[in-house]
Amino acid sequence: MKARIFLLIMVLGTALQAQTPERKRAQPSPWERSIVTLEASRKQYDYYQPWTRKTGRAIKTALYIGEHQILTTADELFDRTLVRFQKGGRGRWWPGEVTWIDYYANLALVTCSDEDFWRDLQPATLGGTVPEGGTLQILRWHEGNLENRRAEFTQFTVREGQLAAINQTVLEADSDIQNAGWGEIVTANSHAVGIVSAQEGRMCTAIPATFIQNILEARKQSRYHGLGFFHFYWQGSQNPASLARLNLPGEPRGVIVNSVPARPDDCEQVLRPQDIILSIDGFALDIQGDYADPEYGNLMLENLATRNKWAGDDVKMQIWRDGKLMNIVYRLPKYDYSVSLVPSATYDQEPEYLILGGLVFQPLTDSYLQSWGNDWRRRSPFRLNYYRNDPPAKDRPALVVMSQVLPDSYNIGYQEQRCLVVDKVNGKTISRLADLRGAIDHPVNGFHVVEFVQSDSLRRIVISAGDSEKEATGRILKRYGIDEAYHLAGKAE
Amino acid sequence: MLKQTATTVLATLWLCAGYAADPERSVIQIFTFSQQPIWDAPWRFDAVRRMGGSGFVIKGKRIMTNAHVVSWGRQIIVRRYQDPRPYVAAVEYVAHDCDLAVLTVQDSRFFDNLDPLELGELPKVRSAVVTYGYPAGGEEISYTRGVVSRIELEPYAHVGNRRLLTCQTDAAINPGNSGGPVIQDDRVVGVAFQGMAGLENAGFFIPTPVIEHFLKDIEDSHYDGFPFAGLRVMPLQSPAYRILLKLPDNDLGARVDGILPIPSTEKEFKLDDVLLKVGDYPVASDGTILYRGNRVSSALAFQFVQAGQSVPVQIWRDGQQRQLSLPVSAYAGDRAAGYQYDTLPRYLVYGGLVFTPLSLDYLRTLGGSAPEISNGEMYYELFFRNYEDHAKARPEPIVLASILADSVNANLRIRGRTLLDQINGVRIEKLEDVVRAFETCTNGFDLIEFLPHHGCETLERSEVANANSRILKTYGIAHDRRL
Repeated sequence: MKARIFLLIMVLGTALQAQTPERKRAQPSPWERSIVTLEASRKQYDYYQPWTRKTGRAIKTALYIGEHQILTTADELFDRTLVRFQKGGRGRWWPGEVTWIDYYANLALVTCSDEDFWRDLQPATLGGTVPEGGTLQILRWHEGNLENRRAEFTQFTVREGQLAAINQTVLEADSDIQNAGWGEIVTANSHAVGIVSAQEGRMCTAIPATFIQNILEARKQSRYHGLGFFHFYWQGSQNPASLARLNLPGEPRGVIVNSVPARPDDCEQVLRPQDIILSIDGFALDIQGDYADPEYGNLMLENLATRNKWAGDDVKMQIWRDGKLMNIVYRLPKYDYSVSLVPSATYDQEPEYLILGGLVFQPLTDSYLQSWGNDWRRRSPFRLNYYRNDPPAKDRPALVVMSQVLPDSYNIGYQEQRCLVVDKVNGKTISRLADLRGAIDHPVNGFHVVEFVQSDSLRRIVISAGDSEKEATGRILKRYGIDEAYHLAGKAE
Repeated sequence: MLKQTATTVLATLWLCAGYAADPERSVIQIFTFSQQPIWDAPWRFDAVRRMGGSGFVIKGKRIMTNAHVVSWGRQIIVRRYQDPRPYVAAVEYVAHDCDLAVLTVQDSRFFDNLDPLELGELPKVRSAVVTYGYPAGGEEISYTRGVVSRIELEPYAHVGNRRLLTCQTDAAINPGNSGGPVIQDDRVVGVAFQGMAGLENAGFFIPTPVIEHFLKDIEDSHYDGFPFAGLRVMPLQSPAYRILLKLPDNDLGARVDGILPIPSTEKEFKLDDVLLKVGDYPVASDGTILYRGNRVSSALAFQFVQAGQSVPVQIWRDGQQRQLSLPVSAYAGDRAAGYQYDTLPRYLVYGGLVFTPLSLDYLRTLGGSAPEISNGEMYYELFFRNYEDHAKARPEPIVLASILADSVNANLRIRGRTLLDQINGVRIEKLEDVVRAFETCTNGFDLIEFLPHHGCETLERSEVANANSRILKTYGIAHDRRL
């Protein structure tokens, strides 16, 4: 009898063991009804041959946050041709429509016009705090299942954004998840505390929920006009001699302003070189340029340009100038890719180009330089790359480069010329392709004279204008399989 | 009959071989014990290195070799063919731009029974040559036979920023061959000097016109260097450009597209001048001249004369032919952009901060990522500023190379590898400005500003005054400066 009971227990135990996973699968995570898969199809451009395009596709994770809004990162949503959703990690796809996108903040809201899509979806709660012990979960749909990876909170810190060189708070967490960085949801205590925007090794970088909430709230109240930034260079005051030289009394503190470029919005710069910034919006700055953030701990001062403040907002600064304490108001300029002479991105815009007798002209942008491949910062021509350090000037807000010459009898003698920055065409200064388009309407004595910026390379090219140029351009387009002689921004002619 | 013919051929070959074997007695094996300065710690030297090279006896009891064989030499040892005795040699003349040097040997017995080798002509392309030398891999003399593959202006790697006439051959030229003679018909037609990474079966030798130019230059007991016109000449093959310049539709004439800031050149030339003839050489539309059957860059035609002489130039300007006479000399304006020798790097140590001129040699200490360091500022300053913005170019840009750690500089944030802008309000154009800026300051602080964004550091002058001797002692630096 004893033996029978034992046997029964064994059988029951085995049955219970076998049932346990079944029961786990049968009990869905509440996140399954909030997290969806987003597929973005988009055009991909070869900036070395800007008239060609390929297609690309990215699978991302997105989060339902209520009011028919799905939240995800803006990454891979540029130049999109189709966005669609999938619920529950399987089954049918639902078309999506981007209702708001901010590449600088790397955030997007997507909706679906089909009411059936929203059935069964449960809005997630953004916010919350990182729990004691720092254990987080990173969630996404993966092969039909909700993948739930443990992550260890590392720190809140300030880093450049994934799609723009603008500093903002990020959450860093260590996890063994693979290939993350595509909008995976970071959760803790039933809250979404962040969205993963990048991964390097085991380190996942996420946009914190508070940052997202602040932007969404400001947007609702029409207070959000884009991200602002501090448009000046500063350094820490770790060297007490620097503070002594500037006669700052008391404990070492604050940061020293090094240089103050002209603002992109033409407003007056209220800071001067050798000012010491002591506090911003009431937050005292230490000698490294950090302040004590009540939510995130010690953060770099750059975060105070995006801490619930937006482009056009004022921040209050206490500074030390010429031996006196002063209070000033710094209006945050709007960050834009064109704050650099070489724009760092050109999203949602087909590559611009203009072909004149086989001479190919393009704007000098990071997108163009990236045609040198993943290691483009090293491999692209040094001089072109070095222009990235320059601010736009009033008389030359951007640059046009003659990227290559499509060989033809018309342009014989120039076939090997490439990567030359254009200075003037027919005597007119060229900053944009539109300038070039205008200049070639006014040839000089029957010739187009193309002058390049003075450097260690070719200075001037002359080609004949008029019918011979038009004939050659037509012939070249046909030979090289190019549909249009030019594509200018906003003019898909 | 067949046997007899074969014997004759063998005998002829033996005679040829025996006849050709004579030059080897005049081929010298060279060992140089060299020690280069460390460009980011300019008071120090690298470990002594032993380098093997070759040379050959020329008239006047001299040995000709490559400059790079004897550069930074602390001791030069030469050995005769199959003679174990070492002799000490000294550099009499060195020409870094053309990578040639002439050595003397104090012990005149060295030259006993050694015949100087005669210089021949520029060899023809496809003609056979034999290189003689002592390449790595053995102690005995080595011979390699090949043909002249092409003759062009090529960069001379020893300085890095000069292009002179060069012969390419498929005869193997390996480390140790450098300085050895390349022989054709018992005469020296070149000096073996460099290979090229990525090219197999390709070696390069310095041909006789370059050697003769060097020997002529030193006849006045001073080496001046190869003349440099400072013109950037571009092909003029576009029919439209030729029509615009009213040039005849032929294959003559190349366009002046850039002029370096050399006063005589700036005075004589304008942009869009067309070079028709340089010296006796018509300039083709691709910018080349026909030199002894070889198409080479027209820059060569400015290199035949000696520095200080003038080159007659026929140009086309404003629809007319004109005749110019361009005085040419060696150009030192881009010295820092090439590798430097003989002169030890200048420096100043102040408060543990090591200041030294920006140079290619200094950039080399930064490793392969030099363009990325300091936002490429140093790279731009060295290689582009002079072309693009000569008015703002500093004659001798100065870098903060490194910081010798000491309590006086413990709080500095910058750790070196940065280009200087100003010190105490003085714009730094050369190393002497750094000295002046520190020594004439009357404030209690030194303010040092850096490029590109005017990052700055401050030193307390009273503390620096106390620290300087301590730092020099700690780091074993005999002198705080070399100006």
